[in-house]
Amino acid sequence: MKFIRNLIRTPEGTVGLCILAILALIAILAPVLSPGDPLHIAGRALLPPFSDPSFPLGTDRLGRDVMAGIIHGTRTSLLVGIAAALAAITIGLCVGLTAGFAGGLIDEALMRLVDAFQIVPGFLLALAFVSVVGASVPIVVLAIALGAWPNPARLTRVQVLSIKERDYVASARVIGMHPVEIALKEILPNALPPVLALSAIIVAAAILTEAALSFLGLGDPNTVTWGSMIAEGRNILRSSPFLSVFPGIALVITVVGVYLFSEGLTKALAGRRI
Amino acid sequence: MSIASLSRRTLFQAGAALLASTALPRFARAQNAPSGGRLIVAADSEPKNLNPAIVASNGVFFIASKVVEPLAEASFESKDGLSPRLATSWEGSADGRSVTFKLREGVKWHDGKPFTSADVAFSALNIWKPLQNLGRLVFANLETVDTPDEATAIFRFSKPTPVQLIRNALPVVSSVVPKHVYEGTDIATNPANTKLIGTGPFKFAEYKPGEYYRLTKNENYWSEGEPKLDEVIFRVLPDRAGAGAALEAEEIQLAAFSAVPLTDLDRISKVPGIKIISEGYEALTYQLVVEINHRRKELSDIKVRQAIAHAINRKFVVDTIFLGYAAASTGPVPKNAPEFYDADVPTYDFDVAKANALLDEAGYSKGANGTRFSLKLRPAPYFNETRQFGDYLRQALAAIGIDAQLFNADSAAHQKAVYTDHDFDLAVAPPVFRGDPAISTTILVQSGIPAGVPFSNQGGYGSKELDGIIAKAAETVDTPARTELYKQFQRIVAADLPLINVAEWGFITVARDTVLNVSNNPRWAVSNWADTALHS
Repeated sequence: MKFIRNLIRTPEGTVGLCILAILALIAILAPVLSPGDPLHIAGRALLPPFSDPSFPLGTDRLGRDVMAGIIHGTRTSLLVGIAAALAAITIGLCVGLTAGFAGGLIDEALMRLVDAFQIVPGFLLALAFVSVVGASVPIVVLAIALGAWPNPARLTRVQVLSIKERDYVASARVIGMHPVEIALKEILPNALPPVLALSAIIVAAAILTEAALSFLGLGDPNTVTWGSMIAEGRNILRSSPFLSVFPGIALVITVVGVYLFSEGLTKALAGRRI
Repeated sequence: MSIASLSRRTLFQAGAALLASTALPRFARAQNAPSGGRLIVAADSEPKNLNPAIVASNGVFFIASKVVEPLAEASFESKDGLSPRLATSWEGSADGRSVTFKLREGVKWHDGKPFTSADVAFSALNIWKPLQNLGRLVFANLETVDTPDEATAIFRFSKPTPVQLIRNALPVVSSVVPKHVYEGTDIATNPANTKLIGTGPFKFAEYKPGEYYRLTKNENYWSEGEPKLDEVIFRVLPDRAGAGAALEAEEIQLAAFSAVPLTDLDRISKVPGIKIISEGYEALTYQLVVEINHRRKELSDIKVRQAIAHAINRKFVVDTIFLGYAAASTGPVPKNAPEFYDADVPTYDFDVAKANALLDEAGYSKGANGTRFSLKLRPAPYFNETRQFGDYLRQALAAIGIDAQLFNADSAAHQKAVYTDHDFDLAVAPPVFRGDPAISTTILVQSGIPAGVPFSNQGGYGSKELDGIIAKAAETVDTPARTELYKQFQRIVAADLPLINVAEWGFITVARDTVLNVSNNPRWAVSNWADTALHS
């Protein structure tokens, strides 16, 4: 509770949390706010926004409701962003913990693996992975996580290296606790906070990567995403810019929201430590 | 500039320019079109092999047809719809076993050597028949080419070959390349495949990958006074959105093959100095087709196929996806092939209730979630319109309780999935009708084609009746009898639905007003542009 109070006390945290709460609400309530398939052809093609009350944001090239696309796109974006970040953090934590705690040869091997992944730009890795395996939501999540796990892994390892020299770890060892137990019970909880602060940044990056993949036509064609909406609108950017602008604004709001939240989170975590 | 500084010379120059501009008629036509100038054209692909004798495709012809010429070119007004190029006349024998070509005399290759019947014989026997994607079918029974003199080539066939087919195929399959360059070399890897040598109005000058192709005027072209242009530049603009902006900025003067997206036409047509031309593609009709995998139990049922045909709103496809720049299809032969087209075929009007009833009749009732069964739908990635039609078809099928899952892939992966691995239930394809059903249309429904042949029947469909008609038409020399066979062919395809023809479309050319003689033949974009000129 104190932690959340700390978070809300920072202006960034408040604004970020509000934005994210609203987005989460939209994502959860998407089937209520706009029932049916958002890709359904609902009306006349290329209705301008604010002209027809049943299509407040207009319709696209085929007559699909832009509003419905944005609402359901929130779902895809948040789902992919959070799932990818979760996957990346989980992989990163496991690798970092193992490397830092085991040390020696295992540490060397794992860290060189991290290096190998880190020198390939994450986006290119995702691009290659999706074009080889094929586009669907789980694959896109995995592809993004593949490029995002080295950072949490390195951070976790550094934390573990520092924590494992602390007195309480030494005493745990002395009383005969199993090394795995020490790693999970004593070290992991204390190594976690800075990695969690990183997670928000990973979410934001994942949302952007997903949008970029969809923009290039490598998203799942059966779900609506902001990236694919922007790509569709790009061909008629000169005559109907709203088709790209609205999903673009949605993307900006989401990413800004996540960043503000992460700022607040970092400050709150720092405050806790003092 | 003050009045005082106006010299007599500037005044004189201005006056002369004014005089010249009024003296020149605004729209000069063919004969008196001005000479000179450099035409810059948008190109969106850079084919690896630019030799039209080997790769008979529009992407190659677009550039190569200005350098390498066919025996005859399609024409709006001439007899048989052909105007002579390297051949001046053609005559089929009554038994269908030979066709005699009289060749143009006094033609020189770009390297100065004379063009003779030996070049035609060499191209036909060593390239068109064994190597060319379309020539393989058209010249399958070509045995020898006799050359009694330098200006006569007699094609001799082992089986009767309809002269109607040869005639219709000439513009596409008969690009002549020089024997002295190709003889004794490995034809597939000959450097002249990328640095073309032909007889055409333009010489191949330069290619900068990713930037441009440059063609320059052939001073010794056989047609007096042509070409009009000094230079043609094909500027590589892979981004479709870029072509419209480049035209407005006068960086390019012409964009063919709908390089400017259809959705942008309405806006760009209002820009002064730019014209939109929908003619010039009559012999290059693309067809929007739903390919069906008949190996799927549900789809092997004619009622299900009829239901799908009834579920597609062709008017929506034409008006919304193609913005009116297309026509609804009735069958496998498009309307602008009047020689063969038959309107008297079973048609499928847009009727969701009827489609649902047909599916119920077939025994596929709706489940609890409102769907009857799921299908894998692969739209071809080549055109915006094929992808959009894929999106539309998914919705149209949802309305009749069929859940279609879209699978997008790049060109190579799409072709492998559909034509080699048969990993599809429905696919959206844009086949081309090339003037005669035997060239690239019958192959879409004929059975017994090995896996891996792109743009062919890979859906496992087989009909003895249809195969019989196709085989018979291939050997029917009599033109009316052969045409009648193809009318039968259309009726059977429309009734049995081995595939569903949805729409047919040509492309749009957008050009600046200064470009003259655009779209004056039915294959204009892929013809030689000898009379194309620039108004200065």
